[in-house]
Amino acid sequence: MSEAIVETGSMGRVAYARIAPNEDLVLGVEKLCIAEGFRNAFVRGALGSLTDACLGTQDGKFIQIKGPAVEIVSLAGEVRSGSDGSMRAALTGVVADTDGNVHGGPFVAGSNPICMTFEVTLEEWLPASVL
Amino acid sequence: MAVMQTTSTTPLPRPRTLIHPGRFNPVRIQSLHARSARHVRLLLTPGRSLYQSLVEPLLALGIRNASTTILGGYFARLQYCVAPPDPTGQAVIAYTRPIDAGSTYMVFGNATLGLGMNGRPLVHCHAAIRTESGAVKGGHILTEASTVGPTPIPVLVTSLDEFELRQAYDPETNIPLLQPHKGDRHV
Repeated sequence: MSEAIVETGSMGRVAYARIAPNEDLVLGVEKLCIAEGFRNAFVRGALGSLTDACLGTQDGKFIQIKGPAVEIVSLAGEVRSGSDGSMRAALTGVVADTDGNVHGGPFVAGSNPICMTFEVTLEEWLPASVL
Repeated sequence: MAVMQTTSTTPLPRPRTLIHPGRFNPVRIQSLHARSARHVRLLLTPGRSLYQSLVEPLLALGIRNASTTILGGYFARLQYCVAPPDPTGQAVIAYTRPIDAGSTYMVFGNATLGLGMNGRPLVHCHAAIRTESGAVKGGHILTEASTVGPTPIPVLVTSLDEFELRQAYDPETNIPLLQPHKGDRHV
């Protein structure tokens, strides 16, 4: 049985961004962290639209929801910096298609282009220690 | 150093790059940060509109810019719209006419509070909902046409105190959008 990993820490700065059309949702959030100097962060709020949405499935495949526009109606996630010098966002959520029907799952990095706008609020996470 | 190569039998879809009607803005991420956020737990008042029940208590606290999470609850009535392609071509998409969802359960919502172009507070809200018919839907919520049901609905507010969110015309997409601005807090 693996040990639980518990990280203690505190919240730091808060950033808000508007990310423009044709930028990727996941990579855009990673670049936002680089722009603001955040190394780790949690999503505090997000909404916007995608041209088409691509959500991962358990078998390593994906589902694609065609727009435009596919509305982001729920989003949660975090951004973590890795020991290899990279920044990695893991975002999960629910989207609504052009008929209002909903689909959910993890957003696949590189395959979720923003349609009109994406508004996101990130709160910086300052880890103190890993127990 | 070893070169790793991975292959997949299911290539990911090629993202589509859409051509918007206006001039391309080379700044793709407009962002600002504050030193810290204030957090508030708010209960939406039964019988009032989502707009009133969110904006008025926050203004009373001096909060004009915020990102909020609506933690689920019943609405006596709710209207929303979705965003199919704009048949006129003025923008890439256009919101549909309001869809009446009736007595609705909001599963989860996010709402951004900022300043509208008309000088009034603006609430931009997207949510997943269960409509009166039982269908689970999602879209852009019309906050002034949606009425909080009989039970107060909790909201977590993350206040943005050192800058403003202002609605401004965006030439590239040809629609008004919320954007962060450094400026006077009390205008």
